[in-house]
Amino acid sequence: MTRPILSHILVTAFSATLALAPAALRADMVDIAIDSHILPGFHRLADRSRVLSETANRDCDANSVDLRAAYGTAFDAWVRVSHLRFGPTETDNRAFALAFWPDSRGKTPKALNALIRKNDPIIDDPEAYTAVSIAARGFYALEFLLFDAPLQQAGTDTYRCALTRTIARDIAATSAAIDKDWSERFAEEMRQPGARYQSEAEIRQELFKALDTGLQILVDMRLGRPLGTYDKPRPKRAEAYRSGRSLRHVVLSLEALADLAMILSADTPDLGDDLAKAFATVRAHAERLEDPVFAGVAAPGPRLRIEALQQDIRNLREEIGLTLGPALGVGVGFNALDGD
Amino acid sequence: MPSRRGFLAGLLAAGMAPAASWADLGTPALLSAGKTNDGRYVLAGLTGAGGILFTREIPARGHAAAAHPSRPEAVAFARRPGRFADVIDCRSGAPLARLTPPSDHHFYGHGVFTPDGLLLMTTENDYEAGRGVIGLWDASAGYRRIGSFSSGGVGPHDMMLREDGMGVVIANGGIETHPDSGRAKLNIPTMRPNLSYLGFDGSLTEQVELVPELRKNSIRHLAMHADGTVAFAMQWQGDLGAVVPIVGLHQTGSAPRLMGEDDPRLRNLSGYGGSIAFSKDGMQVAVSSPRGGLVQVMDTGSGTITAEHWLKDVCGLTQGANGLIASSGTGQIVQMGKDGITALAHTPIAWDNHLIRLA
Repeated sequence: MTRPILSHILVTAFSATLALAPAALRADMVDIAIDSHILPGFHRLADRSRVLSETANRDCDANSVDLRAAYGTAFDAWVRVSHLRFGPTETDNRAFALAFWPDSRGKTPKALNALIRKNDPIIDDPEAYTAVSIAARGFYALEFLLFDAPLQQAGTDTYRCALTRTIARDIAATSAAIDKDWSERFAEEMRQPGARYQSEAEIRQELFKALDTGLQILVDMRLGRPLGTYDKPRPKRAEAYRSGRSLRHVVLSLEALADLAMILSADTPDLGDDLAKAFATVRAHAERLEDPVFAGVAAPGPRLRIEALQQDIRNLREEIGLTLGPALGVGVGFNALDGD
Repeated sequence: MPSRRGFLAGLLAAGMAPAASWADLGTPALLSAGKTNDGRYVLAGLTGAGGILFTREIPARGHAAAAHPSRPEAVAFARRPGRFADVIDCRSGAPLARLTPPSDHHFYGHGVFTPDGLLLMTTENDYEAGRGVIGLWDASAGYRRIGSFSSGGVGPHDMMLREDGMGVVIANGGIETHPDSGRAKLNIPTMRPNLSYLGFDGSLTEQVELVPELRKNSIRHLAMHADGTVAFAMQWQGDLGAVVPIVGLHQTGSAPRLMGEDDPRLRNLSGYGGSIAFSKDGMQVAVSSPRGGLVQVMDTGSGTITAEHWLKDVCGLTQGANGLIASSGTGQIVQMGKDGITALAHTPIAWDNHLIRLA
């Protein structure tokens, strides 16, 4: 784990210069979060998504090894930033345009089938495509085209190829727009209180909330949806199971959240050490499952291990709420906690 | 806080009239769910000054409550995705009935009695179908389930009797959830909240939606003025940096009016309206925000924000005799008026989202 050490050094170094520098020039955990966690993450997403679109233009065959690899790499980049749901990702529903999940009513296959059935020419116009059902956009829609056997039988090869290219191009455009907004405007608005955030506490709250919500999504959605109930497990609700990525998303998300937790605990090194250990343990438990699509939810033994992982993450979230929240001065009350 | 046993003994000593009414209890003015400092979940009856008249234990965290219009009975609703609503005789402490929704349904935490007290109506999630429903229970026959009808949308939350006595108005929050996924929201990009006016037979008489840019503003809680104006409080599901209205007013047959539009102080609410209440004369409407830690008061005529009262984790809010009464998750009961905040009581109970005023 190099992050806490690096952050600590950065904080110390900048603190030392702080006394000499004008008040506006300061580096703290917010700057570190922006410069080492947020901006590189969205930049990587934009870059990998551009490669995905270029690859689809060269080879749109659903079975293409290159295309599937480019898809996986770009999707990885999204999952690593999928907890950063504020500002540029929320403009024009961009995050949902990249990631329409969960799809509890099966809207994605319905929307794709409708386009294919009608040979809808809307896919030829990138601008117009942003107006189609949001369920027909993004990584989860593309997963159907690349990995879902029934959908691969629908319509013509030519149309599906064009649709694959259109979705990949749309992913690249959306990712580029998020990256641009972050680097040109939003990063500066977040570095210090002003028009967007009224106090430093609000900024820390936003970052803490990203960590907390990321953990909650792991518990409730990425693990909770396939687990369902003991009597009614729901393996077909596992995230991106068609491409075999369900467990991978849990691990990637844990890595990204651990990185953010280390940054946010840089001022409280003992707590940072505890959290680093806790994240490492949880991640080891996840990797040990060796069940890429959580098929085990329907079998008593394996199910227990997936439930145990869910409980680990729940405990970690609670610990973070009880320790890191107060350390950052962003405690949440009985009613403020998750609302109703 | 009197112990339950002491409270019961007091009641017995006071004697019980055969035809029980709310007056037997020393007339509680308010009901609220809460959590005691030793971790029990309760429904409590309070005086108008915030004194605790009774507490009754309930199986899990509560949310709102409904009081029977004449009998001293209250229904404490579980917080969503709750599977119980407990009817409690607030005179004897006896549980009168436990309402369990049909399989594949859960409660959202709100409900109302019809004015004659014969029927209890509850907001529910028919979660396999992703459909909001209003459950109907026969309050004259042991709260037997007698049917249900569509709420007019997804995720119905608060509901109130219409002032014209012709039915109910429902806040359909628009958010789909499923108990398998806890409280996770499953349809944010496609959500479409609305305000639905229904007859007691479930017929839809009017439905209000906001402009498409505000579709992520979940319409959750309601207040009713004597002239029939409905105030609604919303919870924004989009980006928190946006300055969005949290309170609106609606009169049947006209377009909704949004309060405090473009006022930067809207951001103090953190995109989250918890409870909503009118002043007695209807000149003001107030909204609480536990996330922002304040109550904002708005002028219903001009729509401008006229006052802000700061209180940590404030949520319960209702009209009192001398201004607004608010409660908080830190146990405070306060009055809010022209002179700011006046503490009424500090109790060892973390008060849950709503203060229910008894007529």
